[in-house]
Amino acid sequence: MIPNFTTPDVAAPGVAASGVFVPETACSRELYLPQAARLLEVEALTARESRFKVELPRPLGHRPGQFVMLSAPGIGEAPISISCGPRDDAILEMVIRRVGTLTRFLHELEPGQWVGVRGPFGSGFDLGDFYGRDLLFVVGGLGMVPMRSLIQAVMATPDRFGKVTLISGWRTPADELFRAEVQSWSRLGEGSGRVRVIRLVDDTAKLPWDGGVGLVTEPIADLDLDPERTVAALCGPPVMYKFVILELVARGLAPSRIFVDLERRMRCGVGKCGHCQINHLYCCQDGPVFRLDRVAHLPEALP
Amino acid sequence: MGAFLVRKAAVTEWIRSLAREQPLFFPQPVGRSGFRFQPLREGSEVRFDHYRPSVVPPGRQLTPAGEVLFRYRTGEGGVPGFESVLDASPRILAGVRPCDLRGIYLMDRVNREGRDDPHYLTRRANTAIIACDCLAPCDDFCFCETVGSLRWREGADLFLTSVDGDFLVEALTPLGESLLPGTGFARCEDVAGLRARAEEVRVRPFGRHFALSPERIAAILPGLWRSPVWENCGQRCLSCGSCNLVCPTCYCFDIQDDFDISDPSSGDRRRNWDGCLLPNFAEVAGGHNFRPQPSARQRHRVKRKFEYLVGRLAEGSFCVGCGRCGRQCTVGIDIFDIVSELVAVAEPPP
Ligand SMILES: Cc1cc2nc3c(=O)[nH]c(=O)nc-3n(C[C@H](O)[C@H](O)[C@H](O)COP(=O)(O)OP(=O)(O)OC[C@H]3O[C@@H](n4cnc5c(N)ncnc54)[C@H](O)[C@@H]3O)c2cc1C
Ligand code: SF4
Ligand code: SF4
Ligand code: FES
Repeated sequence: MIPNFTTPDVAAPGVAASGVFVPETACSRELYLPQAARLLEVEALTARESRFKVELPRPLGHRPGQFVMLSAPGIGEAPISISCGPRDDAILEMVIRRVGTLTRFLHELEPGQWVGVRGPFGSGFDLGDFYGRDLLFVVGGLGMVPMRSLIQAVMATPDRFGKVTLISGWRTPADELFRAEVQSWSRLGEGSGRVRVIRLVDDTAKLPWDGGVGLVTEPIADLDLDPERTVAALCGPPVMYKFVILELVARGLAPSRIFVDLERRMRCGVGKCGHCQINHLYCCQDGPVFRLDRVAHLPEALP
Repeated sequence: MGAFLVRKAAVTEWIRSLAREQPLFFPQPVGRSGFRFQPLREGSEVRFDHYRPSVVPPGRQLTPAGEVLFRYRTGEGGVPGFESVLDASPRILAGVRPCDLRGIYLMDRVNREGRDDPHYLTRRANTAIIACDCLAPCDDFCFCETVGSLRWREGADLFLTSVDGDFLVEALTPLGESLLPGTGFARCEDVAGLRARAEEVRVRPFGRHFALSPERIAAILPGLWRSPVWENCGQRCLSCGSCNLVCPTCYCFDIQDDFDISDPSSGDRRRNWDGCLLPNFAEVAGGHNFRPQPSARQRHRVKRKFEYLVGRLAEGSFCVGCGRCGRQCTVGIDIFDIVSELVAVAEPPP
């Protein structure tokens, strides 16, 4: 047998005396290993989307804008945004749209059943970039899901921020997510005028609707907005970014004050599988939240 | 570390004896002209010359297709338990050429970048490499010298160089040293002299050459985003992904679950080789594809090898010049030609 396996270069960090390589930290051994999480609640929000609340063995310790790799053993694994603000307990909230194999399976689960969770992964938002500023959130559809983790964090201590404006766009009224919660945010600002919410649909589809009709780009031109004081955060379908950014830049917002939360296909979440690349960057590691001036020059960032 | 001058027959005998003690992968002819790294068995041929790169590079032994990442079992109350699977079985890769050695070195870097990949690194740590120098290009596809692979030695435990019909056998690591037979190999004092002797007979220039260095190529690529070269090769490409599968520095993967049909409460999660030339590689839910055209995918592959990873890891070219992708492509797309055309566009010859 090979007597002594100490290939010095590669194995040095974790070579045990026996010579068999043992990864140094538990974390390393667990790179692809989920932890079991118990489903506490599943609540249908729309015909396609449900809110999932799970309990982990220990708090995630996440930042707003981060994501987890969620799995059902035997079915598969997918990146899913963390939809709740930072918290001390071990609860994780997600909103999942039924689109394919795994998500369909998840929608069949009931409280008390188990899933697997890896993470949190990704850069996320840094609240330090938002303190003391006027905030503008622009979301389209499911983009509301990760943005909610940031807005919840902001709404937890609204006095630390300036004015807050949220523009949300939905296909139809039936697609709107978190209506009650968004209304509670806008009530927070009632009187002071510090929170403004603009809710839009592409089409009312003959349903009752108390918001406006149009694209999320449209209200930007008329916003009461001080470009020197404002920081914007965007999340939505791929087509949304370019047009919103054009409007924001037209209002004098510097790219260094615009944050974009980008979606790419992801298989590993840890910078190894190659699927999420945006030119030389890895969306799962360097993103999914990017400051616009750091990616605006990359042709694959905002196609 | 020791160096020895050994007769070829004795080297063959030694390789055979190593193969009796643990799995030893050695390139062996399969079919008409291909080679494959497979376990050496009694009676298989041990030839270091007459070499053509194996269709699948030896480094793929370190990330076998369908490798199990972990097993799961649903226990009491439906709680799933997960158990990581690491393969620490010892093995030897012998007959590895400098280009493939450099490929493995680059994969070592990739798998230690950011978070360690325990599956790769465990296999790697328990793998010994016996590499062998090339004194003549394997065929017309080779371009290892121009991308800095030809004289690569790092990552090998033992390095063999053919000198006047014998082998100079150099141990580069203690592990390599430990694989040598106790006696029988004559120590060699004049290693430098023998290496100079091999250098004298090495074909010059070696294989195909770019007009620019890898550093310059990395520098001109950002300005060539809209070059017609991408469209030209994109139009011919069948998006079959063979070029990815045979490349020693393609490491993208997909992850799939498998449950045990006879006991669906248990199963495993595996990873499989994937390739950025395959049409849905960058497609997300809702159907948006971030690289819908073959030309965009070709550009990504080329920039990854010659620009992105070069900048990210500072280890030089990520194409090691093995020529496999060009050899394998049914429509004759060769990454050497693509890069040469780009170079010609950016810096036309005077
Ligand atoms: C950072 C990030 C955060 C996300 N957050 C959420 C979220 O909060 N809620 C939500 O509902 N969805 C979210 N998604 C999308 C979600 O990951 C996909 O819907 C999910 O992977 C589909 O899995 P499936 O098995 O159900 O579908 P599949 O049957 O695998 O395929 C259905 C569709 O999804 C695409 N797809 C497959 N795998 C992936 C993948 N790994 N990444 C992206 N697209 C994929 C396929 O190309 C196909 O178009 C997020 C994606 C990313 C990258
Ligand atoms: S092997 Fe050739 S045809 Fe196949 S994906 Fe690669 S370049 Fe295209
Ligand atoms: S890109 Fe082609 S020539 Fe370069 S290392 Fe990969 S297979 Fe070999
Ligand atoms: S998701 Fe695998 S590299 Fe980013």
